[in-house]
Amino acid sequence: MAQFITAASGRVSLWLCLPLILLLILSLPIKSPAQTVPVEGMMENPPSVHAFTNATIVTEPGRIIRNGTLVIRKGVIEAVGRNVSVPADARIWDLDGKTIYPGFIDPYSEVGQQNPRVELDRGTLSWNPQVRAHLTASAEYEEEGDGRADLRKNGFVAALSVPSLGLFKGSTSVFSLGDEAVSDRLVRDQVAQAASLTRSWAFGFGYPTSPIGAIALIRQTLYDAGWYAAAHERFESNPAGLRRPEANAPLAALRHVVRDGMPLLFDVTSEEEILRALRIRDEFSVTPWLRGSGHEYKLLDVLSSERVPLILPLSLPATPDIKTPEDALNEDLADLRHWYLAPENAARVAASGLQFSFTTHGVDNSTHVLRNLREMVHAGLPQETALAALTTNPAALLGISRMYGTLERGKSAGFVVMDGDLFEDTSKILSVWIDGKYYRVQSEPSVDPKGSWEITSSGGWLDGDLNVRETRPGRLGGTFTHGDTEITLATVSSEDQPRRFRADFAGDELELTGMVRLTASISENRMQGWAEVPGRERIQWSAVRTASVETEEREPRERRARDLQLADIRPAMEYGREQQPEQPRHVLVRNATVWTMGSEGILENADLLVSDGKVAEVGESLRAPRGAVVINAEGRHVTPGLIDAHIHSGVNGVNEIGNAIVPEVRMADVLDINNIWMYRQLAGGLTTAHVMHGSANPIGGQNVHVKMKWGALSHELVIDDAPGTVKFALGENPKRVGTDRYPETRMGVEQIIADRFQNARDYEARWNEWRATGTGLPPRRDLRMDALVGILNEELLVQSHSYRADEILMLMRLAEDFDFRIKAFHHGVEAFKVAPELAEHGAGAVVWSDWGAFKIEAYDNTTYNARLLHEAGVLTSLHSDNSQIASRMNWEAAKMVRAGMSPEDAMSLITSTTAKLLGIDHRVGSLEPGKDGDFVIWSGDPLSTRTRAEQTWIEGRKYFDMDEDIVLQQAIARERELLIQRIMEVQND
Amino acid sequence: MKNLNRRSFMQIVKAVLSMLFFIWTAVPAEAQTPASAQSSPIAITGAAIHTVSGDLIENGTLLFEDGVITAVGVDIELPAGTEVVDASGKEVWPGLIDAYSQMGIYEIGAVNLTVDVNEQGSVNPNVMVERAFNPESRHIAVARSAGIVVSVTTPGGGLVSGQSAAMLMDGWAWDSMTLKAGVGMIVNWPNASQNSYSRNLETLRDLFAEARAYRKARLAVEAGEAARMDIDIRLEAMMRLFDGTMPVVISANEVRQIQDAVTWAEEEGLRMILLGGRDAHLVTEQLLAHSVPVILTEVLTSPSRNWESFDARYRLPAQLYDAGVQFAIAGIANPANANRLPYEAGAAMAFGLSEEAAVRAVTLEPARILGLGDRLGSLEPGKDASFLITDGNPIEYATQIEQVYIQGRKSDMNDMHRQFYERYSEKVRQMQQDSAQR
Repeated sequence: MAQFITAASGRVSLWLCLPLILLLILSLPIKSPAQTVPVEGMMENPPSVHAFTNATIVTEPGRIIRNGTLVIRKGVIEAVGRNVSVPADARIWDLDGKTIYPGFIDPYSEVGQQNPRVELDRGTLSWNPQVRAHLTASAEYEEEGDGRADLRKNGFVAALSVPSLGLFKGSTSVFSLGDEAVSDRLVRDQVAQAASLTRSWAFGFGYPTSPIGAIALIRQTLYDAGWYAAAHERFESNPAGLRRPEANAPLAALRHVVRDGMPLLFDVTSEEEILRALRIRDEFSVTPWLRGSGHEYKLLDVLSSERVPLILPLSLPATPDIKTPEDALNEDLADLRHWYLAPENAARVAASGLQFSFTTHGVDNSTHVLRNLREMVHAGLPQETALAALTTNPAALLGISRMYGTLERGKSAGFVVMDGDLFEDTSKILSVWIDGKYYRVQSEPSVDPKGSWEITSSGGWLDGDLNVRETRPGRLGGTFTHGDTEITLATVSSEDQPRRFRADFAGDELELTGMVRLTASISENRMQGWAEVPGRERIQWSAVRTASVETEEREPRERRARDLQLADIRPAMEYGREQQPEQPRHVLVRNATVWTMGSEGILENADLLVSDGKVAEVGESLRAPRGAVVINAEGRHVTPGLIDAHIHSGVNGVNEIGNAIVPEVRMADVLDINNIWMYRQLAGGLTTAHVMHGSANPIGGQNVHVKMKWGALSHELVIDDAPGTVKFALGENPKRVGTDRYPETRMGVEQIIADRFQNARDYEARWNEWRATGTGLPPRRDLRMDALVGILNEELLVQSHSYRADEILMLMRLAEDFDFRIKAFHHGVEAFKVAPELAEHGAGAVVWSDWGAFKIEAYDNTTYNARLLHEAGVLTSLHSDNSQIASRMNWEAAKMVRAGMSPEDAMSLITSTTAKLLGIDHRVGSLEPGKDGDFVIWSGDPLSTRTRAEQTWIEGRKYFDMDEDIVLQQAIARERELLIQRIMEVQND
Repeated sequence: MKNLNRRSFMQIVKAVLSMLFFIWTAVPAEAQTPASAQSSPIAITGAAIHTVSGDLIENGTLLFEDGVITAVGVDIELPAGTEVVDASGKEVWPGLIDAYSQMGIYEIGAVNLTVDVNEQGSVNPNVMVERAFNPESRHIAVARSAGIVVSVTTPGGGLVSGQSAAMLMDGWAWDSMTLKAGVGMIVNWPNASQNSYSRNLETLRDLFAEARAYRKARLAVEAGEAARMDIDIRLEAMMRLFDGTMPVVISANEVRQIQDAVTWAEEEGLRMILLGGRDAHLVTEQLLAHSVPVILTEVLTSPSRNWESFDARYRLPAQLYDAGVQFAIAGIANPANANRLPYEAGAAMAFGLSEEAAVRAVTLEPARILGLGDRLGSLEPGKDASFLITDGNPIEYATQIEQVYIQGRKSDMNDMHRQFYERYSEKVRQMQQDSAQR
């Protein structure tokens, strides 16, 4: 028995050890082993004391020692200064003419994380593969192909290693970038938790599939982390009578983030994502760090008051494609502008008083790092700030200032040696020293064949003068003169380490047939070689230098002055604004036909007074308050700002399809102001919209009510006192998602909704029990269940996508079973078939003017839908569900006049009734005192095809003006022209 | 094995039958009955007659016989037996022409089996839409209620899609509903921003070179100068392009596409109509120089480039008009929304096009561009009696299209939309009555 065990274990250990041994043997020559590794073979003890003399030493940004000396010993700086004496045991490096900088630090890299484990299948994992917070960069670090050599070439001595996958990616660690074993390179572990606001695609197509779902999962996970800590504390304090709470390594790891202030390092890919990260901070009091996108200059008004640590990319956008005039036509101003302004990003961030660090992450070609840095300095970034962003700032951010960031006694010997100033185009990095070890980046040649040489040869055949010069950068050429004959050399080359020189020329003029090939061993002033001549014995020759070529100071690249004047606009695209339109104290619109859409009806020749952004009065011959802006609207019509009950523009992602029931996702999380539709919609008189989740789910996400405040920030668009609404979807769409997602029939749609309603009632009951008794473990806050409880309690109003009459009836009956009401059915192509039932339930209908027949469930459409519903007493609205149609909702309503509705009723479909169905009629939808000053001045009857919107006002501010639009168009044309010209100039430089 | 085959064959038959049943049941039971042909002369009297080609005739009379207008004006002598329709206070307009539509070959978008727009392969010059036209399509009557009397039904897809046809919006079967077959040969100009652009144009040029050679050979055979040859049905269909009896209708929107298409048509000596024309305002000189008319598709839409003004597409018709380019307005092809055609023209009115030009863009201009000018587009003696009785301009939203006549036949105005309204208004009435009684 014992023998068997020994034999077996012996075999096992051999199997285990063999690859390890092999690995050890293979890795020995290339790197020194970790400190704990027993020595194999000979101990290596190279000298570790170095003195760098006669150098320009930049010890930290702004502190320069000329002609100084730096001494390092055993990987640590021993002395630095002008009058430092060179220790007797030091190897001396004469750095006359060279400059030493503190080693650079990259606070955001994927060094060691290029090839992450995708599938985690051990231990107590999160249910969701995107939540990998328990991973640590140090444990996951893969040395093979870790990318450190590329960083080193650019002067980096340390970098934060950031796990690359997931929404919570794991904790980050600082590594030095030398060639020692990984375990000798870990500088600081668990520096920050890395997070992303967009899902990784590596895990396939599961929840979350969208940015809305991603943010919802982040939110839920942070709540879970707090709950997890509390539940385990409670259980550990007294487990008696309690069911053990679940074990979950990622949630345990996130305790550091939610409880202990561990930074949450977001990689934000747009300025909107910066705002999203800040909103997460506000909700959870976490400490965010932001790895920026290069668009930060667009958000400086927000960032300058935030003091959030910023890491800015050294990447620059690709040049827009303007190869042909037609290509140029198709380029957006946003891209043209960003091409020009991106180099200013860092300078502008600095000028607004913010500290930041630089990262090379995202620079697509590692040879562009210094080039881009210099471009940014040329664009106004002070050199000292730029250097700080590479050294002291990242060192402070990462908590490694006592070891890195400056050249001071006692710090790690990590520095960069350059042949000139870092910010000169021609300067090159020669070497990088990391923890006292030398890494060559670029060799300076020891011998230079350029110059004049006098050749003497056996037999005198080749006696003469050899002249070598640089014909173009990196290419040699020259002549050989024998007597009166000057021959141009066909090829000339030299190799530095072998100290070899070669040149070929056609020998015919020397009466030598064919190509003569010279080859020689070269030293500083002498060559010793031989010549291969066809049909002859070899000719031996030697040469002495008679003159050397003064290396010309290479002219620094002439840089084009950055003289384009581009206004700061928001959004940073076509028609963007320099500032929000002002709000006059009083605005009086005179002599118009005013459609109040309230009890006053349509008033001819009436005035509208808006004061402090609110409707103050509507009536005849109103008195103009002092200083009022008076608009004579004679012959014009004025209506409330139009409302679209259903659009999907201005958001990043519409559907979260990773689960059939997703009321926890919120469209407000993903608003995006870079949305040309908003301007176009304003131009059509739209002032308010209900931005909805898509229709892929029986219960979809929460919608958001926005005002078309073009030029505002995304969160400023939101109507903050609007009730919550949630999207439902019935029929074809929710059942056709994927192949194996429940539901697949209308029966299943009904049942999964019923099931979740029941779950929500049970969840609510559990919370109520806990609140009443306080015994047991705290229940977990489940945002999905919270939303479902909100639906059942009519705090979240149901706005359901629907087509067929049967499914409309189904959802009303199901809601009645759970004792609540559906607020409105959208699309409702067959709503007219159940108009009496809708009226009785109290549900509204939000329908199209005339869409239909695009699928079987939409075949029974009728343009009389809205009319019939209205006549049956159903609160009825129109909607576009289409960004373009949303920009001409007055014409959608006008179609209903042809279908037989009165003009005022038709107008109510896009104003007053719409507001009621969206729960915002206390703010918008009519021109009655106290309502928001949202109105449109029309050139005529708003329901006529001859009419267009002349001005659109929101809360007493003019957001669109027909005449201003012309001015903007001209400005855009001019700016595009300038930028396109500039691209052509730069490309021709 | 044989049994198995038979069984699977039977399964296929069953599947096909059940699909046919499904389609059949999807077809409304309430289809409108086509009007019978005009049997006696009819005079519409007392109306404001908008002839479009000429002046407005107040309190005028429109007289037509056998489906053809015989007189328009005032003080017209009516033949014996004339049926007089008093239209006092009403307006009479020519019927609208939907110059680009998939009417009759597209029923329900997402139900593939009801859509007959794109044939397999990229070269289908021989396919003819009228032969696949479904006279029972629910969309026909809806379009008619919007004032459309003729739809130019147009195939799609591939490089050469096939031949369009002008279809009457009333009738029992496709043959009698075909006003004109072979209205145009549809060519989809390749996408100019694709790398394959040059290769695709080479394919197009090769095809036309082959077709030209085919025609030469066929004419030689006909003239007895060559022996019999085998027929190629596709190249045969292209012969009419070269003698100018059928125009080539080229779908192109981007400026490169438009320019390259005009150059190509000139090279090939073809009569060209531009379909789409989004960037047409950029190349009006070239369009004028080569007399290329334009069928604008969407007007009620937004520009394709962010920098273009929000109203760029609404203004496009006025821009073409001011430049003197001949154009029609057609809107989108989707027949379920043919009712929007008048509004497509109307939108241009708010953005600089005169009312007269806007109306012409959906009446006389498409008729002339598509070779239907002798039959349609205006109210003149000799043209079809296809007209509307309204209470206003048919391209204004508030206007009611009260009666449509197509070739003298009085159409059923009770389309499916209207029927749904009537039927479910009755449901509302009944249920309100019930609850009042309860």
